[in-house]
Amino acid sequence: MTIDGIDAGRVVFPESMEQLSDCISLEKGSIVPVGAGTQLEFGNPLKSADCAISLTRLNRITTYNPAELTIHVEAGVTLQQIQSALSANNQTLPLDPWSGGAATIGGIAATSAQGPLRATGTIRDWIIGMTVVHVDGRRSKTGGRVVKNVTGYDLAKLYTGSLGSLAVIAEISFKLRPRFETTATAIAKFNSLPDVEAVLGTIRTSKLQPIACEWVGPKHELWIRFGEHPQAVESQIRQLPAASWEVVKAEKEREAWEDLRRTHAAMGPTVLRVVAKPSEIRAIVEEYRPSAWIAHAMNGIVLMSVEQPDVIDAARRKYPAIIDRAPAEFRRHKGTFGVRGAAKRLMLEMKQTFDPERRLNPGRHIDGE
Amino acid sequence: MKAEVVQKLRQIMGPDGVVVDETELLVYECDALAIFKHPPDAVVFARNTKQVSEVVKLANEYSIPFLPRGTGTGLSGGAMAAEGGILIEMQRMNKILSIDVENRIAVVQPGVVNLHITQAASPLGLYYAPDPSSQMACSIGGNVAENAGGPHCLKYGMTTNHILEVEAVLSDGEIIRLGNSAGEPVGMDLLGAIVGSEGTFAIVTEIVVRLLPKPQAVKTLLAAYHTVEACSQTVSDVIAAGIMPAALEFMDDKAIEAVEASVYKAGYPRDARAALLIEVDGFLEGMEETANAIVEICKKNQAYEIRVARDDQERAQLWLGRKGAFGAMGRISPDMVVMDAVIPRTQLPGVLTEIYRLADHYGLGVANVFHAGDGNLHPLILFDSRRQDQVDKILDLGGDIMKVCVDAGGALSGEHGIGIEKKEFMGLVFNETDLDVMMQVKSVFNPRGLLNPSKVFPTRRSCTEIGKGTTTNTEIIGKRVEAVLLRGPGDH
Repeated sequence: MTIDGIDAGRVVFPESMEQLSDCISLEKGSIVPVGAGTQLEFGNPLKSADCAISLTRLNRITTYNPAELTIHVEAGVTLQQIQSALSANNQTLPLDPWSGGAATIGGIAATSAQGPLRATGTIRDWIIGMTVVHVDGRRSKTGGRVVKNVTGYDLAKLYTGSLGSLAVIAEISFKLRPRFETTATAIAKFNSLPDVEAVLGTIRTSKLQPIACEWVGPKHELWIRFGEHPQAVESQIRQLPAASWEVVKAEKEREAWEDLRRTHAAMGPTVLRVVAKPSEIRAIVEEYRPSAWIAHAMNGIVLMSVEQPDVIDAARRKYPAIIDRAPAEFRRHKGTFGVRGAAKRLMLEMKQTFDPERRLNPGRHIDGE
Repeated sequence: MKAEVVQKLRQIMGPDGVVVDETELLVYECDALAIFKHPPDAVVFARNTKQVSEVVKLANEYSIPFLPRGTGTGLSGGAMAAEGGILIEMQRMNKILSIDVENRIAVVQPGVVNLHITQAASPLGLYYAPDPSSQMACSIGGNVAENAGGPHCLKYGMTTNHILEVEAVLSDGEIIRLGNSAGEPVGMDLLGAIVGSEGTFAIVTEIVVRLLPKPQAVKTLLAAYHTVEACSQTVSDVIAAGIMPAALEFMDDKAIEAVEASVYKAGYPRDARAALLIEVDGFLEGMEETANAIVEICKKNQAYEIRVARDDQERAQLWLGRKGAFGAMGRISPDMVVMDAVIPRTQLPGVLTEIYRLADHYGLGVANVFHAGDGNLHPLILFDSRRQDQVDKILDLGGDIMKVCVDAGGALSGEHGIGIEKKEFMGLVFNETDLDVMMQVKSVFNPRGLLNPSKVFPTRRSCTEIGKGTTTNTEIIGKRVEAVLLRGPGDH
């Protein structure tokens, strides 16, 4: 196993929580938790890997309670596995990371991986509890197994997106939702940035509530997805501002979004995630002139391909910007998060508190920039 | 408090910004959980972030404990000055700074009352979703500290799902901004950790909240049952049918009796053993069908009376009883204690039976009004404070109910927080390692332990944490019983 050009000294495949704890407590060198490996180009470059721990054999759904709308899984379960189990009861965990259903749920949590479905939040909004293994092998939990809970600090928020640099995510409990009764996607092509902007402005100040709204460039396409009662979906599509909308449903809709996933994959080796307001998207595209972009138009997040590193510095002078993916060489020169000041100090102290010897995924998170 | 400190506080706050008079301080000796009391040594009324920062720096200089307070509606003692010190009152920071319709966000100060955000956004077609029952009085800053819930969080999530960005004063006085208008964590999700940290990680001084478009249609209905089991089964069946109600509220016979005897009289069927208030919202299209599906589920579970509100007035009438239920308890009991626990929702019938059995065992009344959709129980222990024999049993009954909920796979609090009230129970759900890790995270945000001490963790831990223990367990229980005597039915 090679990550960022570093060969893992050994790879272990624990099959139980006890084995996972044992592997970690016995290891005195650096520890690199790995899932399906779909997000290896995200994060700062790894510094060392004495022992890679594959979570892929911790792949059990431990409890699924349809009547509770909750599921409890080990970290190595894939998103696809979860969705298959849920679909029998018309339920869903509304996540659609660009990396697809083969990603492990622990990996999606550790990287906070996300996709077009943003109206229902990201993985952080669906986690109700977590068990993690600390660098000394101790296990601890946060949250619980109930859908509403303020007992103790919400540490799952810290572990989510921390790239396994604080502790290794071992088990996660989720709340679920009923599957959207039906979904449909309206796609239209426009001629220019101002045209798209005008349509979006109308949608954003309307009663419409798309579950995904993607602005795909440079071809000036808008992808608007609704998920509701069939009549509510139809009515929302009718209320869209005038344009030549093509409406896709069912299998056609699924294929269309698969296409967009491929478009995302083809955006080039380096993609920057610029975080702004929805109304600022046009200005961002005009200023940085990316060769390709996909913007979450209801959230103000722009994924744009980057050719020159100095674009990142320029963007960061105005907006928070995360390197979504880049070759290791590129990431060696530019920090993934670009966090500064008191926030960075707190993050480094958090890392120091959880992992004073810096052995957990060294260099990959805030400690690497 | 040293005259020197008081003088410096006055320099920061101005002459009308500091209270140190012992009698005046009594106003701030507790929040809405009146069974725990301890006055602060000084109260300061912050007008801006800079003042908060300077007071915090001063407190650090003199090693004085300090904590923020919103409108004091909290029900776990989070805003109670357990170790005295400086209470930073946030109510004067009560401006809605901006509402951005296109980007569906509002920027507000922490002292803004929750409902005022929705009132301001409403003419623009937007609203702020989390709606704790105290929303007419509670502050958004307090909501952030406690990760407040409410009847509608079943569908819309808790406070943490609606807070996008904050400006906060750290425990050393440094001012920080966390999050962004997209709510996208960059690096570690420190904001996610601060929301719900019960005022022990940082003092929030400005908040960016997500606004949602107002639902086009709302349907509210009441279903009455002869048994608690049938009522509970309806809850499970509605969820299993793939319907996500905006609210699913349970009331038992005692609660109905109290409501119907009070000014909150809503016309609920008096002979019902239990009733459900169910609300669905969303788009107009499809609403009727969803409501009909719910009615069918209620009928299948032998609901003997189903009332669907035909207009806003009838809807308001149905909600009147539920919202006033806590206040109405005064009609059937001189005193009460509100509990907050959460269980997996399918465990409702068994847990309720056990709660009624325990109440009988202790010879105390218990009424149940709660958010059934997410299993968030609010058993109300009814008692007469003039009867010492009853007062003596409250803590035991409360503790036993808590254990029943935890044994059913539940947790200590669904929305009120741990604060001072439940910290001794934390061992029921978390082991030593779990608590160590939480303490460790707290030490990053609050290394000296001066910010809101003696909260969340069991006393023994709090003592080692700060090297002294001004509030011992025995004192707390003594104060509880004494305070219970002073407590009447509270708002919820």
